[in-house]
Parts: sequence; C-alpha cells; structure tokens
Amino acid sequence: MKKTVSLLLTLTLLLGLLAAGGVSACAEGPSGTLNLYTWAEMFDPDVLASFEKETGIRINYTNFDYDETMLAKLESAKGGDYDLVIADDYIIETVIQEGLAQKLDKDRLSNFGNINPVYQGQFYDPTDEYTVPYGAGVQTICYNPEAVDVAVTGYEDLWNEAFEDNLAITANYRVMIGMALKILGYSYNTNNVDELNEAAELLYRLAPNIRLIKDDFINDDLVSGEVAAAVMYTSQVTQAKLAAPSLEVVYPKEGLGFGIMGMFIPSAAPNADAAHAFIDFILRPEVSAQSYEWLGYYCTNKAADALISDDMKEFLVLPEEFRAEDMEMIGNISAEASERQAEIWTEFKSLCGQ
Amino acid sequence: MRSDKKGSQAGFLAPMYIFTLLFLIGPFVYMIILSFLTRAETWGVVNEFTFRNYTRILEPVYRSTVFNSLKLALDVTFLVILFGYPFGYFMAKLPPRKRGLMMLLLMIPFWTNSLMRLYGWIIIFRANGILDKLLMLLHLTEKPLKLLYSWPAVTVGMVYALLPFMILSVYSSVEKMDWTLVEASRDLGAGPAKAFLTVTLPLSMPGLLSGVILTFVPSVGLFFIADILGGNKIVLLGNVIQEQLMKVHDWPFAAALSVILMLMTSLMILLYRKLTGAAEMEGML
Repeated sequence: MKKTVSLLLTLTLLLGLLAAGGVSACAEGPSGTLNLYTWAEMFDPDVLASFEKETGIRINYTNFDYDETMLAKLESAKGGDYDLVIADDYIIETVIQEGLAQKLDKDRLSNFGNINPVYQGQFYDPTDEYTVPYGAGVQTICYNPEAVDVAVTGYEDLWNEAFEDNLAITANYRVMIGMALKILGYSYNTNNVDELNEAAELLYRLAPNIRLIKDDFINDDLVSGEVAAAVMYTSQVTQAKLAAPSLEVVYPKEGLGFGIMGMFIPSAAPNADAAHAFIDFILRPEVSAQSYEWLGYYCTNKAADALISDDMKEFLVLPEEFRAEDMEMIGNISAEASERQAEIWTEFKSLCGQ
Repeated sequence: MRSDKKGSQAGFLAPMYIFTLLFLIGPFVYMIILSFLTRAETWGVVNEFTFRNYTRILEPVYRSTVFNSLKLALDVTFLVILFGYPFGYFMAKLPPRKRGLMMLLLMIPFWTNSLMRLYGWIIIFRANGILDKLLMLLHLTEKPLKLLYSWPAVTVGMVYALLPFMILSVYSSVEKMDWTLVEASRDLGAGPAKAFLTVTLPLSMPGLLSGVILTFVPSVGLFFIADILGGNKIVLLGNVIQEQLMKVHDWPFAAALSVILMLMTSLMILLYRKLTGAAEMEGML
C-alpha cells in the first residue's frame, strides 16, 4: 500500500516536471506563467480563470499588504521575479525613479485607447509610458442623516459640534491633513511649513469630534452606529451603501483627493509578454466592467462605463457634475514637509485620545 | 546555560551562538547604525551621520508619547499585580489535581489567536454591544455608553493579554516555596498578615518581579492592542515606531525610537537582576 502511494507520488512529480518543461518549450506567443504581485482580493477569480483558459498562461498570484513591502521586494529582486505589479500611485513614482519599471510596448496593447483620460498623465507617470490605471479611489464623506441634524456639503461641516465623538476617519495622515489643507485652499502636496502649521491648528480643533481612526473596515463602524459620519475610501463607501442604503455620500465641495492604482511591468520581468497580454485582456470593456464591479473602485476604463450595471453605477462611475480640475492627487512631498506632517499627525492623534 | 557545563558543550552550543549572532546581534547593530543616518527624500536612507534622530525624540509630541506609554504600562502593571498575584498565589496552594485543571483553563485561551480574542472585546464594548445591552437591561444606563476606543478599553485589553504571564510567574515562585518557613514564623508568634509580609512575599518576590517585567515591557510596545481597542487615538511608543517605519518611511527615526525602547527594556531587566540576584527570570516556560 505504502509503496503504491510513493510510486504514485513520484509519477505525479515526474509528470509535473514534464508538463512544465513542455509549456516552456513551445514559445509561440505569450505562454508560461504570469507572476502577478499585488494586494489580496484585487481580481474576480472568474476573470483570472477565463484569462488562463483563453491564453494557456498560468497565473501565479502573490500578494503584499503594503506598497512599501512591494518596493523592498522589487529592490532586492532588482526588478525581476515579478511580471506584473499593481500598486498605489505614489509608490509607482519611486519605482519608476529607481528604474525598476519598464516602458510598456503599446503596440501590444490594442485596448490602450479604452483608458479614461481623466486618470492618465498623472504625476507618477506624466507621459503614460509605464503604467495602466487599474481602479481609482476618492475620499468622500459618508454620513447617517438620521443620526445628526446637519446637511453635510464639505469637509468643513465635520467640525460641527453635532459630530462630537461621532466621527470616524481613515488612518492615512496625508489624506487627513490634506483635508485641513483643502479647507484652507492649499495643495495636498504643499512643502510650505507655514501652510502645514496653519492646517495643523485647524485639524487639532477637530479632535473632540473624532471617535475612531482606522484604515480597514471603517464602513462597519458607520453601519453599526458606532459613528455618525466617516471620511473613507470609495470601496468602503460602496460596502457601506450596500449594507445601509439610507447613508448619504458627499463629494466634499473643497475638492477631491484622488488615489489611482496602477499596473506596471518590473524592469527585469521574466515574462513581459504574458504581462502585456494580461493588461490588454483587463482593458477589454466587458472584462473591465466585471472586474470593477467586483473590486468596488472607480472604473478607469472609459469603454467599460456603459457596461456597468445600474445599481453599481453610482459607486463606480464618476458623477456627471464631476470636473477634473476639482481633483488633486496626493504625491510625494519633501522630507521636511513629510516629517512635519508625521509630527502633526502624532500630536493630533494624542489630542483625540484625551 | 549553566556556566559549569559550558566548556564541554562548546561544540553543541556553536549553532546557537551563530544563530544569536546572525539573527539577534546582527539586526541590532544594523538598527543602531541606522539610527544615526539621515533619511532620503522619499525612500531609503543616505549615509550621513547625524544625532538629529535622537534629539527629535525630545520634541514635545514624542516626549509625551513616551510619557503616555510609560503611564499606561504602569497602570497595566499595577492592575495585573492586583489580579495576578492573588490568582497565582492561591493557584499554587490548590491540591495538585485542581492545580493541573486550573493551569489547563489558563492555557486554553492561548490556543486562540490573540487578535481574535481582541475582537471579542470589541463585541463586548461596542455601541449596543453585549455590555451596553446588559447595563440597559438592568436599567443602570439609558443609552449606549461609548466604551470602545478609549483609554479604559485599551487598559482592559492589555491587562487581559498580559495577566497570564503574571499568574504563571507568581505561581512558579510560590509553588516551590518552602512552606515550613511560614509555619516557623507562625510558631514564633507572627499573625497571618505578618507572616505573609515578612516571609511569603519576600520569598515570592522573584516571581512577582519577573511578572512585572513580563507585563511592563510588552505593554509599552503592544501597538496592535492600542490600535484595535483604542481606535488609533491612543498613541504608544510602539505605534509611533510602526507608523514612522511603514507610513512616513523615516527608518532612521524609527530605529532611534526602537533603540530607546530597547534601552528602557534592558534597564528594567538589569534592575530585576540587581534586586533578585537571579540570572534568569521566574516562570519563563
């Protein structure tokens, strides 16, 4: 019995080796394995399965928790090991600066024209040579109109006493200090310490209203009634609205802070062919529509907008009245400004805890 | 490591020394070097020597963080002694069979992930949670209290997480105590209180102090408890280090803070050795 089992095991191993050899031997068009590196749960498993079925390319999906981990891994692999990475805008800027990304071969991306131009030409890749956006998020205010008697139109309203100890905010200090900067009419990316100090004074006055600061599952606290309002990301707003339709979503009148997730191919990717094939596959309108409905972020594929189902449209497609000049992206700032922001944030958090 | 056996076992110990050198001393030296370097504009470090990372810790924001961390650690340690000492003491005095059962009951929660147990506290504390419902049922309160995301919630979480360490330390100390000494003091006319204070307490001191270290040291750095039960508003030294490293990308400053934290910890252990004369801590399993 034991012998049969070990014999079977050896056979399977041998077969596996043969199969692997067979695949890498025939190099007609993209084939082999695509090493996809991004956060967990970024793709509908059906989408990945249909890509594998159509092209015969096997997807090896590995994930990271933080952009920083990805950058460190990519640095130690000298741009190798991974074929396609999806990460946040600001870290992609560093990746490109360090020469860890390769230029896209647009001849192989027949669907490149489907990308919504609003999400192109941004600070991290001004000429769109390295990246293709995959989903975008904005920070919006989501609140429960039954819990408070305030009509919220912008960030400013969160300072209202009605929200005392009743507000949840995301734990990203650039976003939250940025909120104060926006109210004052400054840029998210200011390197001017005086402007930052002014924003700090404003932010400190918000401390009595803060009940909770966190990144994940902030929508649960809004839905359960722990807080009356929350500043959070698109995917969380989608979750919250689906769980409690009576919640109101506000696009702050002071302007929107955008975050874009981008796909790029590392400089020494072992299988750049497969990566191009995958990007082009995702850019197909019907595949995009399915992906964004599953992901819950803004659809960055213009051609897919029309295909998104009506009940998801309000979460995934930018509103009619949206003007591109109202949006600003959060980019990298000087070491001095970033140091000051971290200080302001620590001080603000301790004030909230008192 | 007993010193009398060291020589004959040098060969067997070599892998351990290599391991320590590679995975303990190595990273530690790296961290100390890092703490004197300058951060690069957006990512990484530049090889420029500076003391600035240390002087920055003296800024009011970070000074008060250190102070708050120590204060919380003291509160937690005090509460842990209050509950843990009697628990460990009486547990050691139980008949052996019940003692084993008690030990089992104490260990079972450890089989569950500590994060999972923390989420349990959220269910108890949150608005309209179990505690709120109970209090309202008893007509003690009328509307939901805001218990979660506060200093008391963090304190409870820390006490809960660290209590077993105190219990086990005290237990192991009291268990091997020579009870004839207590009997002798009673024979010589000491009352129960005096016998406890002059005989039992000093004899169980190594256990108590080791429990204090095992509670105090982690409670300065257990940032996830402060994050989850404090809603990120409770900023401890551990939280600042984590944030400087992962979000601000200021590795040198994070390293400097870590060095300070390690110095504080080492000081505590040194103090423990001075006070008890013991080389190893009581109750380390």
